[in-house]
Formats: sequence, C-alpha cells, structure tokens
Amino acid sequence: MGYPYSHEKEVPIISEHFGDPEARTLEGWKARGGYEALKKALDMSPEDVVEIVKASGLRGRGGAGFPTGLKWSFMPKDKAKPHYLLCNADESEPGTFKDREVLRWVPHLLIEGCVIAAYAMGAEHVYIYCRGEFFEATQVLAKAVEDAYADGILGDDVLGSGQKIDVTVFAGAGAYICGEETGLMSSLEGRRGEPRVKPPFPAAVGAFGMPTTINNVETLAAIPPIVRNGGEWYRQWGTEESPGTKLFCVSGHVNRPGNYELPLGFPLKDLIYEVCCGMVEDRPLKAVIPGGSSVALLSAEEAENCSLSYEGVIEAGSMLGCASVIVMDETTDIVHQVARMASFYAHESCGQCTPCREGTAWVTTILKRIEDGRGTEDDLDTLVEVTDQMIGTTICVLSDSVAPPVQSSIEKFRDEYLALIRRGERVGAA
Amino acid sequence: MSKIPFRNPGWAGNVGEYKLTEEQVRGIDFVGVRPLEGGHAAAASTYPFMLEAKDPGAPLFEGPYQTRFEKILTRYPTKQAALLPALNLAQEVRGYISPETMDRVAQLLELSSAYVRGVATFYTMYNKRPVGRHLVQVCTNISCNLCGAQDVLEAFLKHTNTEMGETSLDRAFTVIEAECLAGCGFPTCVQINSRYYENVTVAEVPRIVAHLRGNGDGFVPPDNRDDATHTKFAVAPPSTRTESEE
Repeated sequence: MGYPYSHEKEVPIISEHFGDPEARTLEGWKARGGYEALKKALDMSPEDVVEIVKASGLRGRGGAGFPTGLKWSFMPKDKAKPHYLLCNADESEPGTFKDREVLRWVPHLLIEGCVIAAYAMGAEHVYIYCRGEFFEATQVLAKAVEDAYADGILGDDVLGSGQKIDVTVFAGAGAYICGEETGLMSSLEGRRGEPRVKPPFPAAVGAFGMPTTINNVETLAAIPPIVRNGGEWYRQWGTEESPGTKLFCVSGHVNRPGNYELPLGFPLKDLIYEVCCGMVEDRPLKAVIPGGSSVALLSAEEAENCSLSYEGVIEAGSMLGCASVIVMDETTDIVHQVARMASFYAHESCGQCTPCREGTAWVTTILKRIEDGRGTEDDLDTLVEVTDQMIGTTICVLSDSVAPPVQSSIEKFRDEYLALIRRGERVGAA
Repeated sequence: MSKIPFRNPGWAGNVGEYKLTEEQVRGIDFVGVRPLEGGHAAAASTYPFMLEAKDPGAPLFEGPYQTRFEKILTRYPTKQAALLPALNLAQEVRGYISPETMDRVAQLLELSSAYVRGVATFYTMYNKRPVGRHLVQVCTNISCNLCGAQDVLEAFLKHTNTEMGETSLDRAFTVIEAECLAGCGFPTCVQINSRYYENVTVAEVPRIVAHLRGNGDGFVPPDNRDDATHTKFAVAPPSTRTESEE
C-alpha cells in the first residue's frame, strides 16, 4: 500500500508492507514470506534467475528504464576478477521520494533483492550507496543488514548454500551527481563524484576497475516477488513495453501527495483526480512534470490523455524518468519554478565538462534576469540556443537534463515569460 | 530539554490514514542505541554525522572511533575508498572538516592532503567551517517550493535571527537552503542536524525553534494528522477507497 495514503486501484507488490513497522524486523519479514524467494533462487542456477528477470520485462526504475535482465547478462561469466553489485540509493532527483520509503519500511526486501541479484551475476560484494541525508532510513537499513548477518543470510555461506555474498552500507555526503551510475562508482572509490566516459561500460570496467552492475533500489526491491512468482506473473500488469508496477511519487498541488504503487500505463488524469483526490481547492491544473525535474513539462491538455508508461509519456512529449509526478496548479509561477530547477543543476554540476559547467550557470543567470523583470525577448532564443548546445556534448546526462524543462516551458508557457519581459507581470504569489 | 518529548506536527511526514507513532515511522526503537565502536563492519559507516555536540579539538581517531574506523577499512579493496566514511566519521567527532582534519585523514589513508581537500570540498554535507549546534537545511526545490518552502526558509531565518549561511551569535543555529531532500510528498521538508522535519509550515517554525533552543512548550500534536488545520492543504475525504485493515 502506498504511503501515507493508499488507494484501491493500487497493486502493492513492493509497497505491500509500507506503514507496517513489524515488517522491518527479521522475524516480521520472514512471517510475511520474506527470504523465500532467496531460497528459491539459490536452488536455481544463476542463469535461470537472470532468465526469470528477463522474462518479467522489468526495466530499471532509476530513470533510464533499461531492461534489468539484459543489464545483468552483460556481466562476464568468468570469475577471475571480483564482481560488484552497487545499489543506487542516492535518491536526489527533485520530485522523487520512493527509495527512502523502501529503505525505512522494507529494508529486508531490498537486502533480499540485492542478494538474489548478486547471486545471479556472480557478485560477491554488494555496496548499497545511500544518500547522506537519509541518516534515519540508512540506520534502519544498517540494522536490518546486521540482523541478516547474524542470521546467516549474508556472509561466507548464504543460507547454507556455500555462496559468499557480503553487503556493505555506504553513506554519501551530499551530491546529486553521485546518483549517476559512474559518478556513484567514483564516489564509492573515495573520489569526487565525477562521472566517467562510457565505454568502457561498468559491466567491463566498473567500481575498483572490476565488472560492476548498478541498479536502483526500486529495481532490486522488485526482484524477490518476481523470482517468487515468475516472470509471466509480473507481466499481468503494465503494458507490453513497460511491464509490471511502479511506485509513483506524487508531489505538488494535489490533496493527497505520496507514493502510490500502480501498474505502468495508468492514466495520469486518474492518478491526479482519483488516486490523489484531485487538485488542492479544486484549482485548475496548469502543468505536470511526469518524471522528475529532468524531463519536459506537460501542459494540462497534454496531461489529459497521458498514459504513465515509458512509451506513453514519450508519446505525450516527455519522459517517465523515475515516475516523479510534480503537479502544478494555475497559481504556479512557471518561470520561477524553472529558474529554481536551473539553479539546482548549476549547483549540482560537477564541473568536469564545459557545456554543463558554463551552460547551467548561464541558463540560471538568464532565467533570474527574466524573473527580475530585466529580461528581453532575445533571452528566450538565447536560452533555447544554449540548452541545445548542452545536449549530447558532455560525459553524463546532467547537462542534457536542463534542456527539457527550460525548452518545454518556453514553448508551452511563452506567454508567461513574455508577460514578465514586457510588463513585469508575474503569475501567482511567488 | 523539554520534559515532554517534542513532536513537531510534521515530525515524520503526513501519516495519512495510518495509525503510527513517531517512533514507529522513524524506526527509532528498531534501530535502538548503536554502539560507538560500531556493530557489524557492514554497517559501520552509517552513523549520523551531523550532531549537536561537537568537539573540534578531538583526536582522529581514538577509542571506540578508532575501532569503528578499522572496521570500515575492512570493507573496501582500497584504502582510498574509505575516504568518505572517514570524513563522515571525522565530522561526527569534530563537527566540521577543517584543513587540519583533511590533513589528518589524508595521513591515515595514505593520500595526499591536496587530494583529500579536492574530495572534501566536492561534497556539500561536509561543513568546511564551524556551524551552529543546529544546522537547519530547508529544501526550496520545486516540490517544496510549490508548497511554500521559500516562506518557511524566511521564517527560520527570522526566528533564529540569522542571515542565510551565517551562524547565530549564540552559536545555536546555522540556516541554509538545501537542494531536494527526497521528501517531496511531505513539503516543506527540513533537515535539522541528522533528522528530517516534514510538512513544516510557517506557523510551526517558532515552535520548532523554541524546541531546539530547549524552551519548547512541550506541544504534542495528535498522532494522526487528518486535521485539516495541520496541513497547508485540506485533505479530501476518501472517495472510492475501501476501509484499510488495521
């Protein structure tokens, strides 16, 4: 069930035990069927586990939506070098708040998913990279890991199978870029969290120069139910291209913000008006960001018929990302919000690549100028031109992420920019 | 310290339709008291490192902290990989990461001082200079911003009598703006030292500040926040929802 609210249309697979403090404990988790999937996986060959995940069609839940089973199969079979699995719990995309709920409510689900995944790809060590700010959730996970060690679930002989799998919980120190997979590897190695050029891909040369796979918390949390019930079972929800369920993080101007686990392909309109009980004070919808701050804004009309699957949101003109739905009503000052997002990217740019370091700073400066009523109409063209040059020109996609919100807002809410530029008129109270 | 445990109405997010106590949501009892020397090495680098008590002159590392540091080292194939955990531990002990602290950590991990400086300055959670006993970080990113985060930030500045990024004269508060804290469903999300205060509204700020100063009114709100007056936005009644199990 979602937290802090649930809805009858939800399909609680990952979130089944959210809000249930008993599920945190090892005994409580076992009483809820915990670690059965791990036992089942250990009785199978690692290749068969990968096949189940492939059959389920599970796609990476960190934003890119890459098929998980396929990603795992890139890991070399040869065990000459140590293999690593990194769990990305560095949740920091504005609008996203699902991983913390997994960490604090169902830590053993995540541990179980990590161990199954590690077994499937021959990894002996799993590092769970938690964002530094999550002190409380990280400690809940840490306690669960300690309990799992004491119970023989982790260590040199996982559940008596002879398999050695260690899990280490790592706490970051505040950097959005460490959520990028190669940035995360750099940070884990004790470096600045600077992303690296791919290729070589992490499956060949990853953390500590060894074969590595990086998966999001939600992806790994989906593994135990899939292994327990089979790949076909998972496909009963969602669409052909986006099977299964997804945690939708809804924030902004809705009556019931929160996490809801819904089948992919769920209508955005129903999510807002039914599941989240509608807009605050029934004010009209102005725009929706369907996938966190790095994706294009949808206008109210576009949101009307948008289906929340990976392909459905692309069709509507944006991206699903990590399904962080930010809802904005008519009182929203779009220019202000876009400027705020741009300044976020300027703050979080690691500074390695010139287009990003300079681009994020200039975009922020120009947007602030417009916001202050000192902009010109040429500034809008400049913004589009600058952000165009930030796409595909850098090591990672942080730079690319600035373009969609800026360009889509100029395209869809040009009037607001012009009103500020021409008359200094501002929407909303901000 | 107030006698009655303080409960910010937004202590742990909007518990919505769940009947949960603060301890249950935050997992306080589950985590329990963790030993200073660290439990299992797997979790030795997960201790909070933004604390009220700070000792800038404390040695790095001694006693239980030394034990924990050694446990951390066993978990990585290189010494360099222990750099972030070591800096976390150093901040836990000293409260901020001074150039001298960086040098000492460099020595311990056989790295150059310049390298450690490069890494330490990359991460925002390392305080490069002393901060107040309470480091207040208000998220003003989009989701919180839509729900009034800017006003909450200003209220904290006003009630702690500080300027942004500065420390109050009594050294009790440093207030800064934070990037998204991943509590977007519970706006405004504020991190004060090592814990989150969620659903914080302007009206609640004076109470939180008074509590942190140690002269709070012991205000304890109801366990369940269905009361519309607590939230910025009224919560609509359940429409099609079935009764959830208790």
